Amino acid sequence: MPFAYQLPIFFVFIPVIFGVIIYLFKKPWITSLSFLAQITLFIAFFVYHQFWLTNPEHHLIVFGGWSERIGISFYADSLNLTFTLLSIVIFSILLLYLFQFRRKDHKFLFFFLFLEGVFLGMIQTNDLFNMFVFLELVTVIVTVLISYQKTGPSFQAGIYYLLLNTVGALFFLIGIIFLYNTFGTINILLLKDLIPLQGDRTVVQFAYIIMISGISVKAALFPLFTWLPKAHGVAQSGISALLSGLVVKGALYVFIRLNRYMYVNVPLQLSELFFWLGVVTALVGVAFAISQKDMKQILAYHTVSQVGIMMMGISQSYLTAYYGGVLHIINHALFKSLLFLAAGVLIKHYQTKKVYEVRGVMRTFPLIGIVLIVAMLSISGAPLLNGFVSKSMVKYAVKGDFIKEALFFLINLGTVTSFIKFSTVLFGPKQNLVKQKNPLQDISMILLAVGCLGIGLFYKELGQWIYGLSVTVKLWEWVNWLDYAIFLAIGLVFYHFVVKKDYKPFQFLRHFKLTFESANYLFVAYLVVVLLVVFT
Amino acid sequence: MSPILTIIVILIGLYGLATSKNIIKSVFCVTIIEAGVILLFLNLGNLEGGSIPILGNVIENIVDPIPQALMITTIVIGSTITALALMLCIKIFHNYGSVEWKEVLGREE
Amino acid sequence: MIRRISLIVLLVVIFFGFLYSVIDLEAFFSTYGKDYFFANGYLETGSLNLVTGIYLDYRLFDSLFEAGILIAAVSGVTWISQHEITEKNASFMLDKQITPGLFITFSRMVYPFMLMFGIYVILFGHVSPGGGFQGGAIVATAILILYYIDSKKATSIDKILTIEKILFLTILAVGSISYFTKGTFFTNPFALSASEAVKSIYLITLNVLIGIKVSLGLVAIFTAFLKEGR
Repeated sequence: MPFAYQLPIFFVFIPVIFGVIIYLFKKPWITSLSFLAQITLFIAFFVYHQFWLTNPEHHLIVFGGWSERIGISFYADSLNLTFTLLSIVIFSILLLYLFQFRRKDHKFLFFFLFLEGVFLGMIQTNDLFNMFVFLELVTVIVTVLISYQKTGPSFQAGIYYLLLNTVGALFFLIGIIFLYNTFGTINILLLKDLIPLQGDRTVVQFAYIIMISGISVKAALFPLFTWLPKAHGVAQSGISALLSGLVVKGALYVFIRLNRYMYVNVPLQLSELFFWLGVVTALVGVAFAISQKDMKQILAYHTVSQVGIMMMGISQSYLTAYYGGVLHIINHALFKSLLFLAAGVLIKHYQTKKVYEVRGVMRTFPLIGIVLIVAMLSISGAPLLNGFVSKSMVKYAVKGDFIKEALFFLINLGTVTSFIKFSTVLFGPKQNLVKQKNPLQDISMILLAVGCLGIGLFYKELGQWIYGLSVTVKLWEWVNWLDYAIFLAIGLVFYHFVVKKDYKPFQFLRHFKLTFESANYLFVAYLVVVLLVVFT
Repeated sequence: MSPILTIIVILIGLYGLATSKNIIKSVFCVTIIEAGVILLFLNLGNLEGGSIPILGNVIENIVDPIPQALMITTIVIGSTITALALMLCIKIFHNYGSVEWKEVLGREE
Repeated sequence: MIRRISLIVLLVVIFFGFLYSVIDLEAFFSTYGKDYFFANGYLETGSLNLVTGIYLDYRLFDSLFEAGILIAAVSGVTWISQHEITEKNASFMLDKQITPGLFITFSRMVYPFMLMFGIYVILFGHVSPGGGFQGGAIVATAILILYYIDSKKATSIDKILTIEKILFLTILAVGSISYFTKGTFFTNPFALSASEAVKSIYLITLNVLIGIKVSLGLVAIFTAFLKEGR
């Protein structure tokens, strides 16, 4: 076996070992080793990618050389490798952003690098119980990172996140228990072949229901997303970008594995349920986002709504919509991280979080102004940028059905309106503020903006290279440009006459809080709803 | 019979989570759910009966050893999560003066 | 009131779902894992205790990250417990405690026996019930009994955390030795045909390392609670 065959193990252990070394030695120059870790990861990834393309029979590694049915294994296919590359890129860019502040903070870098190693492990593993262990590890480390500032509200957000996600992960474990006792193995590839043989047994279907409910808590779907805005309100901007950009996507990755790989041949008729769940999530998220006055809360509720659009894409079996959903995962990681990083810089300089108090960004911080415009255009689906590509591909799922198209139109309208509200920070006179020079932060934001533009312009070549498929979204047809202009016009009108006046419904939405007991009650109700849909 | 009793334990834990007004009670309910899950797995591994999985005497049939190995990991994970949650409770008490969900969540930032 | 009744109705629905699936499971389930380990477990791993053989040889990767979650949680608890100056209601429980004389005498008697029992469970984990994780918890309890005797003598947490992380790197190194002898990671480095005594060197080493690491981690968590950040 050539050495390149074992490289996925190193993806997991390089960040972990570097993290532990940074914690152990207290010299100040040790923290620059974290950059060495990222560079090593990039080199290892490209070497492995070359090896992967040429040897299709060596995609599976079993630890210890035991038989597949009883040993732990790692499996690499194109979905895995896409997520791996995405997480390595986002973690490196976040490290550039955070490094200036945290140069002397060994403990923070230890938690950060450990999280990177564990997340890469969760994406590559092929064993269900191993996935559960990594899921719990991610929960614990993200709790510590949320509470890192040690203020009162951050502890409250931390414990809310910890308890709700632990209950979800425990229900995931119950599903694993039932599957193991039915089939005698917990290897995902083997289960893919074994489950359809007994697909009509009650145990197998019940295991699916429980696992999906458990993982919906982490993926922030409709009734269970209340931890997300709380966590975003208290965490610092780099950690918010990590949470919205990667941790939620990890849960969606597990969802794709369950739905399309393990249970693909069992006729459960759940794609309609998840499509409508996605629509409701997107609408609710956008409604909350319009009513908020805090910059980071607008972005947090927006993440919920974009997760709804992703769910609309990946729950379909129609291939274009599915690839649109996966592409939206990648795009959302890029532009949402960019928005959070820019918001972080603005909050630090203006010392306030409210949208109405920040003015004149375009003249005071021209670089951040340009970057914000790029991000806002991509998230609302302007042509030439990446949001347009993924939203058009997801739109194929709704073609032909008038109600679904109308709802999709409403969701897009809400997105544009909330970002018009956000963009009021750009206008205004130049402010006199003390600027701190931080070149690494600027480089990280420019890299993300270039990524957004790149995928938007070159999606055809990238799709060919990575997935070997050819997708055309009509870019230069004037209909799409006209569509976008109409959206902008209606959004502006809606904003001026309705949102700015701050009517009673918006105030109600802004102050709406859900207690912890109600969140658990909604979890039980969600389980029962999925159960009834499957069994009737 | 015994798998059904462990399922009742899990559901009691869920009921407790959805109705408890105190943060420490919620932490206890999560511990109860975790204990129920561990017992469920061990019971389902014992459906045929048998002796403990340690060779050395003459035995005909053993209990499945995989649930026991997996549950060692789960117990360790559960105890670390409980420790982390309780430390957060102590800090919340130092900051807010009470550990009721209503008072802790009700303050605006 | 309506809420509680509706909650009970929903929970009863879930209970019936569980009930039907357990009844379905008892009718037909697979015993592949049990038969495989009964037939081949001792020959391949060299340990009479099949559970130890599983978590030290077939599924060593899981145990590595179980040790990892202990490190992450202990570091997290230690970081969170350190005090900031802005807290208002901080009053410490430990200043008001007086340990009764009965506890002190009893702890002095029980401590050496518990320590020896814990070390026995760790060392003989591959022959009788026990192992690294279980024995580590017993040794941690034995050390914590000392806190009953004198609660002022807490050790510094930083030293414990440093030793724990060095032990984690050592466990990783021991697990990777098998790459040089067999070509794959995370298994017993001695060949399958070696005698049981030789194979159990690896098992005892790993059990001792994991036992020390787990006990240090649990002692650190308890010390962080006890000191409350001072």
